[in-house]
Amino acid sequence: MLKLDVKYDVLELRNRGYSMSEEDSIIARNLRKIYSTYLRKGLIKRERQEVHALKGVSFSVKRGEVFGLLGPNGAGKTTTVKILSTLLLPDGGEARILGFDVVKDASKVRKLIGVSLTVEKGFFWKLTGRENLTYFGMLYGLDGQELRASVQQCLELVGLTSLGVADKLYEEYSLGMKARLSIARALITDPEVLILDEPTLGLDPPSARTLRELLVELAHKKGKTVLVTTHNMFEAEILCDRVAIINEGKIVALDEVEKLKRRLAGKVSLEIIAAPPAKVPVTSLIETVRSLIGAPSKAFPENGLVRLKVVQPLERVEETTSRVLDILHRKGCKIRRVEVKEPNLEDVFIHLTGRKGF
Amino acid sequence: MALRTLFKSGVVLDIYFFKNNRSAFLFTLIWPYLTLTLIIGMGYLFGSAESFKQNVGVSVDPLMYFIASTLATMVSLDVMWGIGGSVLEHRWIGTLPYILLSPNRTSITLVLTYIPRYLLNAGIQLAEFAPLIFVVEGFYGGLFRLSIVILAITLGMLPLLGFSALFTSFLLSIKEESNVLGWLNPLILLFSGAFYPAYLLPRWARIISKALPSTYTIELARLSAIIGSPELRKITLLIGALVAMSVIYNSASGLLIQAGERKAMRKGAI
Repeated sequence: MLKLDVKYDVLELRNRGYSMSEEDSIIARNLRKIYSTYLRKGLIKRERQEVHALKGVSFSVKRGEVFGLLGPNGAGKTTTVKILSTLLLPDGGEARILGFDVVKDASKVRKLIGVSLTVEKGFFWKLTGRENLTYFGMLYGLDGQELRASVQQCLELVGLTSLGVADKLYEEYSLGMKARLSIARALITDPEVLILDEPTLGLDPPSARTLRELLVELAHKKGKTVLVTTHNMFEAEILCDRVAIINEGKIVALDEVEKLKRRLAGKVSLEIIAAPPAKVPVTSLIETVRSLIGAPSKAFPENGLVRLKVVQPLERVEETTSRVLDILHRKGCKIRRVEVKEPNLEDVFIHLTGRKGF
Repeated sequence: MALRTLFKSGVVLDIYFFKNNRSAFLFTLIWPYLTLTLIIGMGYLFGSAESFKQNVGVSVDPLMYFIASTLATMVSLDVMWGIGGSVLEHRWIGTLPYILLSPNRTSITLVLTYIPRYLLNAGIQLAEFAPLIFVVEGFYGGLFRLSIVILAITLGMLPLLGFSALFTSFLLSIKEESNVLGWLNPLILLFSGAFYPAYLLPRWARIISKALPSTYTIELARLSAIIGSPELRKITLLIGALVAMSVIYNSASGLLIQAGERKAMRKGAI
């Protein structure tokens, strides 16, 4: 597979103000991004509106680490990923991949990264998996025997050859196969850094598990640096060595998962699942309950049920439980489950952001 | 990275595409004849074959004239709109970001990966019209005229590469989802002398005509149709004009392309 001989001077970067160690593969420092949108007012007149997608995002990712960028929709995850992938210019701040600036050295950065932005598209439907990989491999500079070997190796690595679909048209692929091919493309040049935006989105649990195992293997056994974005807390918890929680364009927490969970020492997670009657609108029920709790909580409809999570000190759980159950009873809801657990990453997120849902 | 590999990736993509899409290949074969029919139809709107000969001033076979015009026009304009169109196609199917992740400059990647399709289309069209030209002109006459047409369409592509990249960065930066400037095609065809020789156009239209590279491409291509044995001097002049335009237009558009690319990247249009 392709080996790129790219070196960078850590000392020089330190002199320029980077707290960069030899182990850092990715550095984002105070990244800012503002999108302009236009609101039409009448036939000709339009009003410019600014959306601050990133408000000073900073983090670093070590070599051989699986790093998760965790946050709800619209938090700034994809914007960060696009900036790191050289597909979007930031309005402020800097980002470096293996020492190279993503704006000034975009061409060099592109040789060092493998990117997957969406798993359900991004390939030619009328080409087979192998043909698609061959085309993108050439586009990224591979040719001849090196290209053929790399394509075969990547197809094998993601399991498309063992599934017997490497030479099937992409349009016949399931979502799981498409996701595998997307990872294969990201790996085609054997890059040092993998940047993957929601790599398991929409996958069935077995496919998602296979993909997660592959990513962990790539990072821990082959020394790749893997940056994944996700809004799946469970995934982040089992996949990532460290996570950064991003919310409304800002990093609100960054640490190892276990250390983040320790922030909730002395607190527990209360989960209640209820079935509301047909006449009661689920969204208004959620609003009513949340407004009465007065603690960081998350509530959302789930298959016609209401799922509510509250994080709070152990001594207050009993009181909160009875208050919530009382409201739900009065609204005519049937209680399906009440559970008190040790906090997980999802609870950390709720505690830090107090958001309604993802 | 070797530009040769980039170019080759475009060739590979086309081979795979047509191998798996026989119907698309069939329509690629039919398309030039549909355009020829349109151009002949438009040409006859200006008068009969006899009045055409009188207007042009020499004894010309209108069919040859239109074949030459069709070839030159289609292939030279193809390169201009084709690259922009391919960008839109890539955006729709989601391949655009991955193409732009090629370590080369965006415009170079988009232009170089498209050129194989352009050359393939041009080759198909030439191969298709070749029997017709041989029937009308005989083998050697046909071969000679075909050679000039090949020269014309190859040279004609060069000045338009800058335009095509410029048009593409414009499409990206305005986040446009359709070929917004497609309406210009019939006008360019008219001003370039595809329907009627450019020197018969009104004076104001001739000024526009002179600034369009496609005018010289068409003129070069149709020389073989109008004049029995084209003058070397005239051919050299036209080739010179196309080469000069390639340098001027591509240099001028280079700066604008860079600005357009940055604007697109800043807006998050990819």
